[in-house]
Amino acid sequence: MGKLLQLALHPVEMKAALKLKFCRTPLFSIYDQSTSPYLLHCFELLNLTSRSFAAVIRELHPELRNCVTLFYLILRALDTIEDDMSIEHDLKIDLLRHFHEKLLLTKWSFDGNAPDVKDRAVLTDFESILIEFHKLKPEYQEVIKEITEKMGNGMADYILDENYNLNGLQTVHDYDVYCHYVAGLVGDGLTRLIVIAKFANESLYSNEQLYESMGLFLQKTNIIRDYNEDLVDGRSFWPKEIWSQYAPQLKDFMKPENEQLGLDCINHLVLNALSHVIDVLTYLAGIHEQSTFQFCAIPQVMAIATLALVFNNREVLHGNVKIRKGTTCYLILKSRTLRGCVEIFDYYLRDIKSKLAVQDPNFLKLNIQISKIEQFMEEMYQDKLPPNVKPNETPIFLKVKERSRYDDELVPTQQEEEYKFNMVLSIILSVLLGFYYIYTLHRA
Amino acid sequence: MSKIDSVLIIGGSGFLGLHLIQQFFDINPKPDIHIFDVRDLPEKLSKQFTFNVDDIKFHKGDLTSPDDMENAINESKANVVVHCASPMHGQNPDIYDIVNVKGTRNVIDMCKKCGVNILVYTSSAGVIFNGQDVHNADETWPIPEVPMDAYNETKAIAEDMVLKANDPSSDFYTVALRPAGIFGPGDRQLVPGLRQVAKLGQSKFQIGDNNNLFDWTYAGNVADAHVLAAQKLLDPKTRTAVSGETFFITNDTPTYFWALARTVWKADGHIDKHVIVLKRPVAICAGYLSEWVSKMLGKEPGLTPFRVKIVCAYRYHNIAKAKKLLGYTPRVGIEEGINKTLAWMDEGL
Repeated sequence: MGKLLQLALHPVEMKAALKLKFCRTPLFSIYDQSTSPYLLHCFELLNLTSRSFAAVIRELHPELRNCVTLFYLILRALDTIEDDMSIEHDLKIDLLRHFHEKLLLTKWSFDGNAPDVKDRAVLTDFESILIEFHKLKPEYQEVIKEITEKMGNGMADYILDENYNLNGLQTVHDYDVYCHYVAGLVGDGLTRLIVIAKFANESLYSNEQLYESMGLFLQKTNIIRDYNEDLVDGRSFWPKEIWSQYAPQLKDFMKPENEQLGLDCINHLVLNALSHVIDVLTYLAGIHEQSTFQFCAIPQVMAIATLALVFNNREVLHGNVKIRKGTTCYLILKSRTLRGCVEIFDYYLRDIKSKLAVQDPNFLKLNIQISKIEQFMEEMYQDKLPPNVKPNETPIFLKVKERSRYDDELVPTQQEEEYKFNMVLSIILSVLLGFYYIYTLHRA
Repeated sequence: MSKIDSVLIIGGSGFLGLHLIQQFFDINPKPDIHIFDVRDLPEKLSKQFTFNVDDIKFHKGDLTSPDDMENAINESKANVVVHCASPMHGQNPDIYDIVNVKGTRNVIDMCKKCGVNILVYTSSAGVIFNGQDVHNADETWPIPEVPMDAYNETKAIAEDMVLKANDPSSDFYTVALRPAGIFGPGDRQLVPGLRQVAKLGQSKFQIGDNNNLFDWTYAGNVADAHVLAAQKLLDPKTRTAVSGETFFITNDTPTYFWALARTVWKADGHIDKHVIVLKRPVAICAGYLSEWVSKMLGKEPGLTPFRVKIVCAYRYHNIAKAKKLLGYTPRVGIEEGINKTLAWMDEGL
């Protein structure tokens, strides 16, 4: 009942949830072509490891769906090895460093995870993944193998890094490097897959900062949000260069007397994360296949919503914070166009600004960073020019102009959904009115 | 020639003029620096100015007098003239016409007569503003047909005169710089005005929804842009692209109007617990009422519809052209600039 009540209190989100569930037609489906039992099993594994992410991947264009599914599962397998504390140290290092070589095999699996490890099935059933991996186009296989190698080595390096294990991340640069290995590389790999599929211009891959920012923005958002959870698990990912400005020890923020300092630190980390937004918007403007656009856009709009949620939020220091399910539905529907994404970012940036206190040590810096993003959004569309002034045909303006053609193609779909929703709503209301009418007649 | 031998700064005793002296003084090799103004350099200068006063030659005169101007130019042997003389906002319209239009016409005529090569004119970002929102404007935005006020109108006329005077065939090159929201040591309007607002307890009011972006520019950066412009005009490789052009000059960090105001108040140790928000239409009505009551009482109104429009309007700019063609970057950030300004105010000069 909690969820229904939450939805009822937010009618716009309620409408979005209903539309998403009943009115929307998926772009693609996993059943639209002959699907082998091994591939079906891979989809099951995907659903098992990340239900929400699985829903997005399943709707990808057939050209990319299978290889992104496998890419995800392979990296999840790597993660499962890295996270498992029960695996003997040397074996773990060896597995991580040579995991990419397993992809060359036709038969391999790993049964060494502890029984309680959540995603161990990905490794015990790795054979299904291998079978399907070898069916991919060679160029897709090459990308996945290369990223797996880099990520595996990165993970191994962190495990062996005594300074990191003892003291955590020191500088903002360390923080960026860590996020690069955990998430930036994923952005790298996905971008190459998208470009190979010709769903985006090649220039998307020539600017490393763009796809790097796609990964870092998501990862930093999660790191900020998961402060309490990570600390309880004995881990920490906030960079000392930032948190040491506010407290001698990271765990000090849990104390009530240090709450304001903790909030200032959260806000400082949000400021750092916001430096990626312009790159994110630039990246999204460069994608022209619709299912791929949605696949990339959904996590990013979730991230900005989460940043707005954690900003100046004391709950972060004491537990879990999450955006409402209804908000998620609303964001998924609205983020299908670039214009929709920009409006979402704009909305949440203003939300952050409205929560920004003058006392905040980064008050002006945050205002300037938000303003800079707003100025960039203006440059993207340039729709507030006086008469007779032509837009500046900057690279981003031209990209957005091209992307707008695809946005326009989506309008009929959105209108149809709105029509369906209104039609059903009308019918329901008519039936209710009918019953009410009969009831009043009966009473009279 | 490729260096500034001698520069004549018209209006050099004023707020921006002092920063111009400093920036030209810091050039290597240092040019001769001459000042033309109606009043002497201030007797006491802020510690933040490090130029040697004894090295600065002063010429007293009337901007509109051909003889005064000609004498100053000839004595200075200036190959570069910077014209930044301008009355402050809020004065009698006649003074704007005399200084901004007649004065500038005189400057142009005398520069040509005396063989000056370079004229850098300090225009204003306000020339394109008439109360409508300005969203990320660049130099292609037109001058409005109906000006907002006499100040902006006369600045636009003067700018046009300067640009039309650009004449490569007679070795005379001109440029107009359009700074936005200049502040810094010597500023008697922007930061001191905000400080006064806080003292009067008015900082708890917010006019508008604080979503409008505003550009401020630190005076030292504006002066730096003038030096860059002069150098580009002297260089045969770059003068063609730069001469006869206008350039917006800002700190390249627009932000929300009240964020800027609150940063000043905060640096002054003043933070309001609660802020009362007046929406734009309400504030405009209050402005008319305030104006009417003040007129009855024979006092100067604090709140006017004009000021409400100024405070609520988007006014931010795209300075890509200045960055590309002048090589301009703002060296002093907003926060640092505010702190420098407050430090100057505390010197009590």
